[in-house]
Amino acid sequence: MLHQNLEWFFPHTTEEAVKLISQQGIILHGGGTRILKTSPKSIKGLVDVGKLKLNFIHHTDKQISIGAACTYDDVIRYSAKTKKLLMLAKALSEAASTPLRNRITIGGSLKDFPIWSSLYAPLLALNAQIEIAEKHDIIISLEEYLETGIIKTKHLIKRIIVDDDLHFVGGVKRFVLIRFEYPLFTIAVALRAKKEIISDARIFITGVKGRYKHCKRAERFLIDKEFSAETINEAEKHFTPKFVSDYKYSAEYKEHAAKVFFTDLLHELKGNL
Amino acid sequence: MKLHFKINNKLKDLELHANETLLHVLRNNDFTEVKCGCNEGECGSCTVLLDGKPVNSCQVLAMSVQEKEITTVKGIGTLYTPHLLQKSFVEAGADQCGFCSPGMVLASYSLLKENPKPSREEILFALDGNLCRCTGYVKIVDAVELTARKLHANNLEME
Repeated sequence: MLHQNLEWFFPHTTEEAVKLISQQGIILHGGGTRILKTSPKSIKGLVDVGKLKLNFIHHTDKQISIGAACTYDDVIRYSAKTKKLLMLAKALSEAASTPLRNRITIGGSLKDFPIWSSLYAPLLALNAQIEIAEKHDIIISLEEYLETGIIKTKHLIKRIIVDDDLHFVGGVKRFVLIRFEYPLFTIAVALRAKKEIISDARIFITGVKGRYKHCKRAERFLIDKEFSAETINEAEKHFTPKFVSDYKYSAEYKEHAAKVFFTDLLHELKGNL
Repeated sequence: MKLHFKINNKLKDLELHANETLLHVLRNNDFTEVKCGCNEGECGSCTVLLDGKPVNSCQVLAMSVQEKEITTVKGIGTLYTPHLLQKSFVEAGADQCGFCSPGMVLASYSLLKENPKPSREEILFALDGNLCRCTGYVKIVDAVELTARKLHANNLEME
């Protein structure tokens, strides 16, 4: 339960917001869905991002910038209109129901990285960059953001930047029993192929031991291979995510399921090439 | 404390605490047409429109939406002056216990406003956040389709 005397702040600049969240017990408020789920009493104040003008999607020749205050639905609508960010839009449309997608923000999901998030795998596969504001603004790769532990520090996410690359095919698959269940794992694959030969591959899975894995071994295997059924079946052996057993599923079961999903996803992508 | 909110096209002063959800603030201030179901963002009974888009009011902190336009089901039609969509729900037999109806109507309203001729799949997608334990959904989808047909036949737009 949140504290009744909670203080609210509505800054107009990111500098003000960063200053506010540097105080203990004060955190950012985007859509608020995660805050309501956890409702920690230790929160003394909320800094609403609504007036920071971070609700935008800009498109230049080579890049697409998504403001941190954009909701999942904003991205889905943009994708439907422009036919861009299709892999991301698919993942987000499956991640929550319509009324929740109208509230959950990209920035909030990136900062919290809940175990069920379907946002990270496609963004990592798209080699996204993230702009954050602390003392200074910095732009780093999303992978670096996770690896270096910056995600755990207090900061404000301004935007996520994705290359507008027309030459890759991408896909995402989540393991769920019913549509809006928290996924056991989410796999995202982005590939480039020239004349049926795979020239580049980025493969990520979330929900694994350590939260996410960059599947470099599978990537190395796929690059310079013909994108054939044989290659796909062989690739499964090089896709080796590690899981933790829980009360529902053993680690071995999850690993097996992940391999099946990975193979299915590659077959789907082959059909889309 | 008391704050201004714009609800159903009228400015209202609502009594609230800083930690309260929009659902509880609305219900505590006599907007009882907004139903409290799961309080978890799962069932959609508490759906309201925020600037025209459906949201679970149980998953929204009221303080964060002071400058937004809030629409409850009474904002689109009342018992005595029902909206075309509400009439279609009755005609199609899409109401049984009626608990989900305010949320269903608002989610459908938002869809039809944006897409006056949705496919059955598009209707199901738009209503994916609203659960009904009575109807089995078929008649609800029928009601939305019926409204779309009426709009088209009479050359009307959703208002």
